[in-house]
Amino acid sequence: MSHMPLSRLGGLALRQLLRDVRASEVRVLFFALLVAVAASTAIGYFGARLNGAMQLRASEFLGADLVLQGSAPAREQQLDAGKALGLRHAHVVEFTSVVGGDNGIQLSSVKAADGAYPLRGQVRSAPAPYAEETPGGGPAPGEVWVEPRLLAALGLAIGDSIDVGMKTLRMSRVLTYEPDRANNFYSLTPRVMMNLADLEATGVIQPGSRVTYRDLWRGDAEALAQYRHTVEKDLAANQRLRDTRDGNQQIGGALGKAERYLNMASLVAVLLAGVAVALSASRYAARRLDASALLRCLGLSRHQALGLYCLQLAMLGLVAALAGALLGWLAQLGLFRLLHGLLPSVVPAGGIIPALAGIGTGLVALAGFALPPIAALGQVPPLRVLRRDLLPIPASSWLVYGAALLALGLIMWRLSLDLLLTFALLGGGLVAALLLGGLLLLGLRSLRQLLAGAPLTWRLGLGQLLRHPMAAAGQALAFGLILLAMALVALLRAELLDTWQAQLPKDAPNHFALNILPDDRELFIQHLHQVNAASAPLYPVTPGRLVQINEKPVQQVVSKDSAGERAVQRDLSLTWAAELPEGNVLTAGSWWQALPADNDIPGVSVEAQLASSLKLQMGDLLTFDIGGQQRQARVSSLRNVHWDSFQPNFYMIFQPGTLQGLPTTYLTSFYLAPGHDLDVVALSRAFPAVTILQVDALLDQLRSILAQVTLAVEYVLLFVLAAGLAVLFAGLQATLDERIRQGALLRALGAARPLLVKARRIEFGLLGAASGLLAAVGCELITWVLYRYAFDLQWSPHPWLLVLPLTGALLVGGAGVLGTRRALNASPLAVLREA
Amino acid sequence: MSPSILVAQNLSKVVPSAEGDLTILHALSLDLAQGDSLAIVGASGSGKSTLLGLLAGLDRPSAGKVMLAGHDLGPLDEDQRARVRAEHVGFVFQSFQLLDSLNALENVMLPLELDGRRDAREQARTLLERVGLGKRLSHTPRQLSGGEQQRVAIARAFAAQPAVLFADEPTGNLVSHTGERISDLLFELNKERGTTLVLVTHDERLARRCRRQIRLDAGRLVAPMEAR
Repeated sequence: MSHMPLSRLGGLALRQLLRDVRASEVRVLFFALLVAVAASTAIGYFGARLNGAMQLRASEFLGADLVLQGSAPAREQQLDAGKALGLRHAHVVEFTSVVGGDNGIQLSSVKAADGAYPLRGQVRSAPAPYAEETPGGGPAPGEVWVEPRLLAALGLAIGDSIDVGMKTLRMSRVLTYEPDRANNFYSLTPRVMMNLADLEATGVIQPGSRVTYRDLWRGDAEALAQYRHTVEKDLAANQRLRDTRDGNQQIGGALGKAERYLNMASLVAVLLAGVAVALSASRYAARRLDASALLRCLGLSRHQALGLYCLQLAMLGLVAALAGALLGWLAQLGLFRLLHGLLPSVVPAGGIIPALAGIGTGLVALAGFALPPIAALGQVPPLRVLRRDLLPIPASSWLVYGAALLALGLIMWRLSLDLLLTFALLGGGLVAALLLGGLLLLGLRSLRQLLAGAPLTWRLGLGQLLRHPMAAAGQALAFGLILLAMALVALLRAELLDTWQAQLPKDAPNHFALNILPDDRELFIQHLHQVNAASAPLYPVTPGRLVQINEKPVQQVVSKDSAGERAVQRDLSLTWAAELPEGNVLTAGSWWQALPADNDIPGVSVEAQLASSLKLQMGDLLTFDIGGQQRQARVSSLRNVHWDSFQPNFYMIFQPGTLQGLPTTYLTSFYLAPGHDLDVVALSRAFPAVTILQVDALLDQLRSILAQVTLAVEYVLLFVLAAGLAVLFAGLQATLDERIRQGALLRALGAARPLLVKARRIEFGLLGAASGLLAAVGCELITWVLYRYAFDLQWSPHPWLLVLPLTGALLVGGAGVLGTRRALNASPLAVLREA
Repeated sequence: MSPSILVAQNLSKVVPSAEGDLTILHALSLDLAQGDSLAIVGASGSGKSTLLGLLAGLDRPSAGKVMLAGHDLGPLDEDQRARVRAEHVGFVFQSFQLLDSLNALENVMLPLELDGRRDAREQARTLLERVGLGKRLSHTPRQLSGGEQQRVAIARAFAAQPAVLFADEPTGNLVSHTGERISDLLFELNKERGTTLVLVTHDERLARRCRRQIRLDAGRLVAPMEAR
């Protein structure tokens, strides 16, 4: 036996495992792993595929999957790289130009697109203003599609011609919707869309013209990633790559939150897996202490005994993980089938990664959590065969558990790629567990004194917990973690939905009105009242560019390709306000209470993210170029702005009375119930200079994306709940042996069945209530961290979490009584013999 | 007389306790020949099981020396002693120590499988038939009575054909007539296979069936080892 080859050890392990299948703890361990891997695989697939589908929807807002944008045409090799990868390509050139008709001229933003545009989504157009729109197509060479306001401005009709540069083009249709217009619906100039083939003939593009070239790409994720990788490293100074993330702030925000939520749900599944595996593995090990001692007596060395059990576990883990991954894959397949009508027609397949991640998760959880108890099996003194009380010397369990936590942390990080989230969950969970476990232990100990005078049922029920306070605290902690995980996921779901709903209420503004002249202001407000439109305040706007920070040119301050750089390359909409706009939250400084004194430099409130990108500090001196005039202001406060609301939002808000004497127009947003299209027409006729933009389509699209995200979140919650419940039962199973034996003994001593049922209810009920209390406190601790740092949500206490102790008592109590009824119903003799 | 198979010289065991060091075995010596049988008797706590553990190499003495089948156990570490046990030693325990998840046949096969024997199944079956359990091969320990479980344990102990069989209260958990049958079986096999038998027991009748007996009292040898 001294030179037992690995193959013999492996064969032995396999035979032992096959025989061990009869043992309940092996089945529980297998089941726990199966559930854990299935849950994380299913969530992984669900998340990945749904995310893919949502990205697809979101990509409509870009008109493509990826856009290479620059102020000069893309280089040949940049285009060749995309084509070589088999990506589909469309080319768009945008510029601002004066277009002329017979009655006048109008500054317009012209878009010249080739036949392939758009690669995602569709352009919509109508034969006449306010006529029924049809999707698809684009202007043919020699034609343009224009926005109705251009027709109004020039006094022309469809069928008339306009001059773009040196080329005369016929206006063939009214342009009603461009998928990628969402990026820029504040645009002040009407859109003219023409065919790229006509561009050269216009002669508009000259060296030095301000032109945006956009190369649109569409393809599978891998090719896109490769393209990004190839092109990213030598982007010219004027070029940048955009994808769905930065295509639209509203969508980006919702997607980001949903993704974080899905990631968190799979982290919770990992946590549940860990708890389940730890519970069943420690029972597995405890039940093999004798066997291990015997094997040592029979001559197996420590390493061989350890190897034998490790091999058994590895085999078990592998089979369970593979079966779990298959089950998880099938589960998500079923789910998508179920949701067939609700989801976008094209849902990407998801690939092999979620399955591999699920398997890896299960195996690492097994290794991490089962290794410490199994390592103890290798340390059992063989003398235990003579003296049952001899337990293995606890190996450096801190080291082993530390390694387990590290491994788990790595998986979590790998899943979420979010260090903060991982630390919040792992660290928060750990701190909460230690803190609450200690408190629980103290509580149990002090309960002992109270118990002396209690009735028999209470002494029996509690006695079970008090006999091994450490074990009882451990169990409460384990159940508590499960409840905590489930509560956390449920809580975040509710918060996310609330946030989204608040962000897009039914009466979210669906129109923007721009270019309201100061003289028209009062009249316009009156008109809005007449048509029952719910309107945001009217904000004065004057376009201006940030040119200096602390009297240094901004170009020297901002880093390349940052949000700050993009903001200083164009005119910003500058406004002033006496009150902090609704939905804005100050993060630094204070809001002004009065007008600035005559010779003071006025204050300006800067949007916080832009401020950080521009490295602005409170008190910094900003210089703006506004229509050729230089104006200075000092940073007096920073604000958080909800870009995903449909209210007018501003990067820069000045102190009132500081932009006087500058050309100003007003803008606002308002909600008009559906079916009032004629009112909009009337409004635009009454105020021809005012630009009214309908954002219904954008809102609808956003709402449908949010609906899908919500659905995903709800289904994921369901998965986590199911996994949690399964794990809860597995955990209870792991503690039942001892109780069954005890119950049988009491029955044998003549205890009546109702007494035992009552005692058991008390025991499990208390255990559940304690777990629930732990979960409630832990949940508050973790959400505080998560809300603050990961989800950007406002934290306030959640009193309803106090139902958790009750839930725990009912759940654990019910499951406990249910699980032990075998001991109550069977003949005590039979149970004793079996035990 | 055949050569010595088990020799103990001045064997002592001292364990630390709250009241200072506690000596549970005092300088004990013995010498057993191949095929011999020895009963260790004494009251509870007299050091019987401690002595058994030391002789079988399950534990290490505080002083003194054990020679088992020609191996000096003193300098060997736990794994090396495990190797000696695998080659030369069998065990029977008071609590049977069968693996719950294995049936009777598989329990007996275990030491043979550990040894890599291809005929494990046949050997185990033969042994179980020998102990009268030929029809209970697929029963798990829970489905067997105490006497039957102990017979499985004996079959397992003899499976590896050990030179020395250590038995710790082999009839302790059994009613008297079952115990009687178990001890018959032990001595029959002892004789058939020439195994040396060392047993710890409370049972005077069982002790008397051994060729030699020693009595321990508070870790000291009070009745010397004599041939019957």
